[in-house]
Amino acid sequence: MDQSVAIQETLADGEYCIIAVQGMLCEGDSRQSRLLGLVRYRLEHGGQEHALFLYTHRRMAITGDDVSLDRIVPVSRDFTLEEVSPDGELYILGSDVTVQLDTAELSLMFQLPFGSHTRMFLQEVARACPGFDPVTPDPEFRWLSRYRCTQLQSQLPTPHGWNSAPGTWPGCARIGGGRYPSRNGLWGLEEARSGAGSVLFGGGAVDQTGLRLAEVARGGGPLWGRSGRRGRRDEEVEEAGREMSAAAGSRERDSAGNSHFDDLRPNGKGLLVDQSSWGQDKPEDLLPRQNKSKSEITDMVRSSTITVSDKAHILSMQKFGLRDTLVKSELVQKEEDYTYIQNFRFFVGTYNVNGQSPKECLRPWLRHSVEAPDVYCVGFQELDLSKEAFFFQDTPKEEEWFKAVSDCLHPGAKYAKIKLIRLVGIMLLLYVKEEHAAYISEVEAESVGTGIMGRMNKGGVAIRFRFHNTSICVVNSHLAAHTEECERRNQDYKDICSRMQFCQVDPGLPPLTISKHDVILWLGDLNYRIEELDVEKVKKLIEEKAFQTLYAYDQLKTQVAAKAVFEGFTEGELTFQPTYKYDTGSDDWDTSEKCRAPAWCDRILWKGKNITQLSYQSHMALKTSDHKPVSSVFDIGVKVRNEELYRKTLEEIVRSLDKMENANIPSVSLSKREFCFQNVKYMQLQVESFTIHNGQVPCRFEFINKPDEQSYCKQWLNANPSRGFLLPDSTIEIELELFVNKSTATKLNSNEDKIEDILVLHLDRGKDYFLSVSGNYLPSCFGSPIHTLCYMKEPILDLPLETVRELTLRPLWTEDDGSQLENPMEIPKELWMMVDYLYRNAVQQEDLFQQPGLRSEFEHVRDCLDTGMIDTLSASNHSVAEALLLFLESLPEPVICYSAYHNCLECSGNYTASKQVISTLPTFHKNVFNYLMAFLQELLKNSAKNHLDENILASIFGSLLLRNPAGHQKLEMVEKKKAQEFIHQFLCNSP
Amino acid sequence: MAKQYDVLFRLLLIGDSGVGKTCLLCRFTDNEFHSSHISTIGVDFKMKTIEVDGIKVRIQIWDTAGQERYQTITKQYYRRAQGIFLVYDISSERSYQHIMKWVSDVDEYAPEGVQKILIGNKADEEQKRQVGREQGQQLAKEYGMDFYETSACTNLNIKESFMRLTELVLQAHRKELDGLRTRASNELALAELEEDEGKPEGPANSSKTCWC
Ligand SMILES: Nc1nc2c(ncn2[C@@H]2O[C@H](COP(=O)(O)OP(=O)(O)O)[C@@H](O)[C@H]2O)c(=O)[nH]1
Ligand SMILES: [Mg+2]
Repeated sequence: MDQSVAIQETLADGEYCIIAVQGMLCEGDSRQSRLLGLVRYRLEHGGQEHALFLYTHRRMAITGDDVSLDRIVPVSRDFTLEEVSPDGELYILGSDVTVQLDTAELSLMFQLPFGSHTRMFLQEVARACPGFDPVTPDPEFRWLSRYRCTQLQSQLPTPHGWNSAPGTWPGCARIGGGRYPSRNGLWGLEEARSGAGSVLFGGGAVDQTGLRLAEVARGGGPLWGRSGRRGRRDEEVEEAGREMSAAAGSRERDSAGNSHFDDLRPNGKGLLVDQSSWGQDKPEDLLPRQNKSKSEITDMVRSSTITVSDKAHILSMQKFGLRDTLVKSELVQKEEDYTYIQNFRFFVGTYNVNGQSPKECLRPWLRHSVEAPDVYCVGFQELDLSKEAFFFQDTPKEEEWFKAVSDCLHPGAKYAKIKLIRLVGIMLLLYVKEEHAAYISEVEAESVGTGIMGRMNKGGVAIRFRFHNTSICVVNSHLAAHTEECERRNQDYKDICSRMQFCQVDPGLPPLTISKHDVILWLGDLNYRIEELDVEKVKKLIEEKAFQTLYAYDQLKTQVAAKAVFEGFTEGELTFQPTYKYDTGSDDWDTSEKCRAPAWCDRILWKGKNITQLSYQSHMALKTSDHKPVSSVFDIGVKVRNEELYRKTLEEIVRSLDKMENANIPSVSLSKREFCFQNVKYMQLQVESFTIHNGQVPCRFEFINKPDEQSYCKQWLNANPSRGFLLPDSTIEIELELFVNKSTATKLNSNEDKIEDILVLHLDRGKDYFLSVSGNYLPSCFGSPIHTLCYMKEPILDLPLETVRELTLRPLWTEDDGSQLENPMEIPKELWMMVDYLYRNAVQQEDLFQQPGLRSEFEHVRDCLDTGMIDTLSASNHSVAEALLLFLESLPEPVICYSAYHNCLECSGNYTASKQVISTLPTFHKNVFNYLMAFLQELLKNSAKNHLDENILASIFGSLLLRNPAGHQKLEMVEKKKAQEFIHQFLCNSP
Repeated sequence: MAKQYDVLFRLLLIGDSGVGKTCLLCRFTDNEFHSSHISTIGVDFKMKTIEVDGIKVRIQIWDTAGQERYQTITKQYYRRAQGIFLVYDISSERSYQHIMKWVSDVDEYAPEGVQKILIGNKADEEQKRQVGREQGQQLAKEYGMDFYETSACTNLNIKESFMRLTELVLQAHRKELDGLRTRASNELALAELEEDEGKPEGPANSSKTCWC
């Protein structure tokens, strides 16, 4: 079932649904059926534009009522529809075809059923894509404006908008509700009457609510003009072709089973997607780069899965269809480069045998020339007039006449029969000299019956073939009889022209018509008569051999002159008397009752270049029929290939396609690839920036994860933006931000981690660039464990890195061995410094620990602590207080060790038990705890000044000193309360 | 033109930085040679279409960064390849010694059945030669690889080595291809009379190995 018919019903005048396919729209895990229709619109000035119309539909769409427009994707310059390979799989026969639709604004994934119909659809879409030819203007898609609400018209983007403007603009559409008259009727102009459904253009969020069909009122349209009619014809031809292919498609579908959508595999965008992006713009065609903020740019990027995984190894050819088509069309264009013209002799004959069997030798007709023809095209009409022949299509006459012809071909050469085709009594035979057979290709034969039943003995048969590089079509037709049926004959001719269609080798190509050939030879009983003269006058003129005078009354001559038939064809001068109608067995004019006037019924015409007619004559010697046979000999210049030149041309084409393709691989240049962050400090942001300058191909970029890593860079690094879209020749600045915090500091101190990373900047469908990050980190007491600090008698920055590393890696429970030797401090000196500072300056400070400090002062505090220059410390009390809190927060192991956490919560409320737990802590931790408690109690003594009380301090320090070993952040309320209560006990009771 | 099936696959160039990987690629795809060395930092690729035994083959050739510090990342690209060029520079003993390491990386990271070929590049630099031809042959033999001495500079053996590796990959995937071939010929039963046009001599017929 060809569903484009249903779509066509919803379209407006001038829009034509070329082909439709039903597929699954894949969004995340959801699969929704959509009808995809490729719609063409012919522009007034001759060009055409295309858009993909996506419809939701009920059941299989049969009429316009069954479909409702979901969105329209204009086939603009940045439109691509490409097959992608399912993840990591070889090509599987009969599997669904996954395609990715991309424009600047949106990206959709569809699964289409396997088979030639889908193939054809993809090919049609590829054909519809505007080329990269800079001469052709960008498509403007003005015609699509009818699908937008009038009130939104003011918001329409510039015509160029479809091609490159990012962003989305939902609009409203009127959609025909299937109330159009049949396609054969006249379509009027439409006017919207009321409310319209909204339709998405391009991309953006799906508006699910507004998909109601609009009511459409039709006004009377203008009558079809002449050109309009021609347009229709064109489309009828296309329709016929489409029906054929749709039938083929459904056949395939059946054999492949009906479960195309059962087997939905997850898809990734394969790396092996055909890289050719023919739709890409040349830079000069694009709009000047728009200044966008980074966030805008990142918004445009869809979240793409990047292909680090293994992809299909070997893919089948089908995605190269486009490339093949390009190669072929280039070969055709460059034909002159590798072919030369060589003449071949063609014999063309036509004979209406009036249902007779061959009774005489055909030599006088077929063998009258001295030289043996290279090609014989021999046509008969009225081979068999019996009813059996008509109804059963079988006749012994076929064999008889075939044999008669074969026997009488020129003895100077051996001939091979290439093809025989017959439609009732109309038969055409094609022979070539044996040695030419190897150069005959793409042979197809077709027949067309004209008229309705009873008149089916009229019509035409044709054989088309390639001889060397020239395409040739030979047509034998028997047109309507009787003098007055001239119009009918013209119509028969047109019907044969439009309905005669030859399959192409490539099933994706539309069928060939007669007119698409380099050389056309048309022979037959065309049945045109001599008009306006009475029989006697005609006979008299014939007797006088005044053929020129007589010719003026020949219907074929007058009809051709009026361009009513055989346009572009040539006929040689008629130097022989009319070939109809004789008494059988004689050269006498018809003496029967009807007494037909003589006429040149049997004719030979041609069309094409390099054709010279050498003779055109009748053969009076043959008397079997009431017609005389006619023959013509031609020299036809055929394009013959120079193999050497051909090979060179082909190689050149392939090379230039490769070159173009390589030029279309996205490529950028980076202003910098190595980044050195020197003397990185704890919680101090460092930024290095660089620019990505795009080449000539629009591209998406993204920093991608290295294999087995969760993110594209180390935790302390961030790229901003980390992905985006770049127009040709545009630039974007990327900032690499380095920030070491409590979760990354310890490993940097211990040298388990270094300021070293490699970032992979990936271009969609393009290269990967490696950026290297290096630098050094200045160890800090922040992020260092308590016991480590206790062993550090020097400021941390005065110690060799190796010592810092060693001490940082030292296990927590090592106090007994060697501690005497090293004589550690009881608590970290840095803690002491801060507490001492506060003790001296801030015991009476209002809102201590509750007001935030200043970042710059924190940095100063950190530097003082790490360099040991505590004397120079001058900062507000709040900043020092905050530094203290940060210090506690950054401890990799909290003051109350993780292992003691649950014990503490359990005995919270029981002071004795709580003290017991504290006593089990490692010495340094115990010391720190007691030291802090003493300090806090000291603060409480000044609560009148500093407004602190036990509850405030317990709530601040509870969550710092006691941290949940599993994810500290999300403390439950109960746990929080217990932790506070635990600290609270120590604040109320003296130790 | 009898339509043939096409095949697409990946080849990878690996070897120390500076041995001429990028030049080999440029010579093969664009027939160009640049004497300046801009070391590849990342992975780059180009497409090339060739015909082998009447099969249109489209190859994506990946050029990788050779520097030590990027190797953990470049190794990850191995598994996407069907064929690998191991390249050393005949004027650098060191690059030759490193082939062993490259081979072991390939064994570890590349898919099973990946085809390998050994290339000794800069064959034009006879006076600076540090690695003898026999040494190359010997090493290739050890690993069961084919061996070519090439020069991107003078265009020596470039086409030959790329064609050879392509053939090897086709051979290794013969089964899959035969499947496609049967199908293609079914579809094309109509095309019997067609002459065998469109089969350029050049690359296609220069490969005489019959692998089917
Ligand atoms: N003489 C000579 N020099 C070459 C040849 N191939 C590459 N080079 C030079 O070697 C240097 C490194 O080449 P390149 O392709 O960038 O090496 P890569 O790092 O392996 O990609 C460049 O200066 C090239 O000009 C060759 O065949 N002969
Ligand atoms: Mg390189």
